[in-house]
Amino acid sequence: MNPRSFLPFACAASAFAAAAALAVAAEPAVEAHEMLKSAVDEVLAIAYDGQTATTPLALRVRPALEKYFNFATITRRAIGPGWRQFTPEQQARATTLFTDLVIRTYADRFEVGNRPGITYSKAVIPDATKPMLRELPTTIDYAGKKYSVIYRVEQAGDSWRVYDVIIEGVSMIANWRSQLDPIFQKGGAPAVIASLEKNLAQPVVK
Amino acid sequence: MNHRRLSLIVTLLALCALPVRAQKTPAHPDPEVVEEMDEYAVVQVYDPIEPVNRVMFKFNDGLYDYVLRPVSKGYTRVVPAPARRGIGNFFDNLRFPIRFVNCLLQGKFARAGRETEKFYVNTIAGLGGFIRISDDVPALTAVPREDTGQTFGVWHIGKGPYLVLPVLGPGTVRDSVGAVGDYFLNPLHWDPKHNIDGYGWEADTGVAATDVVNALPDLLNTYDAPRKDAIDPYIAVRSAYIQYRDAAVKQ
Repeated sequence: MNPRSFLPFACAASAFAAAAALAVAAEPAVEAHEMLKSAVDEVLAIAYDGQTATTPLALRVRPALEKYFNFATITRRAIGPGWRQFTPEQQARATTLFTDLVIRTYADRFEVGNRPGITYSKAVIPDATKPMLRELPTTIDYAGKKYSVIYRVEQAGDSWRVYDVIIEGVSMIANWRSQLDPIFQKGGAPAVIASLEKNLAQPVVK
Repeated sequence: MNHRRLSLIVTLLALCALPVRAQKTPAHPDPEVVEEMDEYAVVQVYDPIEPVNRVMFKFNDGLYDYVLRPVSKGYTRVVPAPARRGIGNFFDNLRFPIRFVNCLLQGKFARAGRETEKFYVNTIAGLGGFIRISDDVPALTAVPREDTGQTFGVWHIGKGPYLVLPVLGPGTVRDSVGAVGDYFLNPLHWDPKHNIDGYGWEADTGVAATDVVNALPDLLNTYDAPRKDAIDPYIAVRSAYIQYRDAAVKQ
């Protein structure tokens, strides 16, 4: 394995959680960063300034994440093409479970005392034929190391919401899909839902 | 590791790599299962020995949990973070030839120049590399790191099969051969240092062990990140590794 961190999820998680309130922007590419900064500050404040709070972080940070992340899109993309074969009930169930799983997983990555610093680069339109998509590159400075983190956002109505986070080249969605798609191929929607339920029933790995 | 053993490994890996040029990762999945406007359906991994890799993955997990993790925990308890960072910076700075030579091999001459500048800044102003002064120089903060495996990628040599190596963990045939190249480019493995009075195998082992143990906490955190809470940890690590290396080659 290459000794360099290929996946600094742990440190980037705070920023992932913070990702992007790219709301109501007439000129999204310009205003996105200001909104992203506001959102990052908001979530980092929940995570780091409220460290003495007794409520679990996953619960405290959930409203902000649900506001800025499009979990329906994230779930659909994470499951992949098989999503179209889910019934509406199965889709709703999978979305609920997957949202719980993602929030639980990443809320657990916050570490006491290590507040990351974030710098923002210019927004990129990844594909001219898809003007509703943007990539927002950032650099996260965490525990003396710098990591490249790109937030993928899409227009949702009159606002922007995050649908993927790419940390050092590793896409969260692609990673989840690589796990869920084979399960769907073997056992269909029930198997995917069962695997999500089973995973959530297990205690968080420290 | 002596040179004879290394030569054997190089030969074996090279033999494994022979079909690599011809082998192609499936370019596109079945169009029927590709969602329109969806860029995520393209990560394909050639993993012909998956059952063996899974066994090795489990073995490594046990090794990490019962041997390396306790060592790492003990080390972080004894050695304070600034010292660990300094030692890490020192060894990282020392590996400059790996990055420099591979920049040249990839035709990235401007990047090779920045690497050189970074090396001099950190060696001279950063007390032999212990302090990464280059982080304060905007032009030198984000120089992508090159290695031999990436050079092979830039040369359009295929990844070859995915491998989980004992102790070392995830890799591909291409990256494993590349790691041998990196080994020889690492000054820690150069012979002239043995001409220094008093520098014997004990010192050699001590230096190598310090390098490895100091890097352990970061390596284990990195390894754990995709693995923790995954539905299928093997696939999560495999996907993360392949994506990370693909991105590194493209940089």
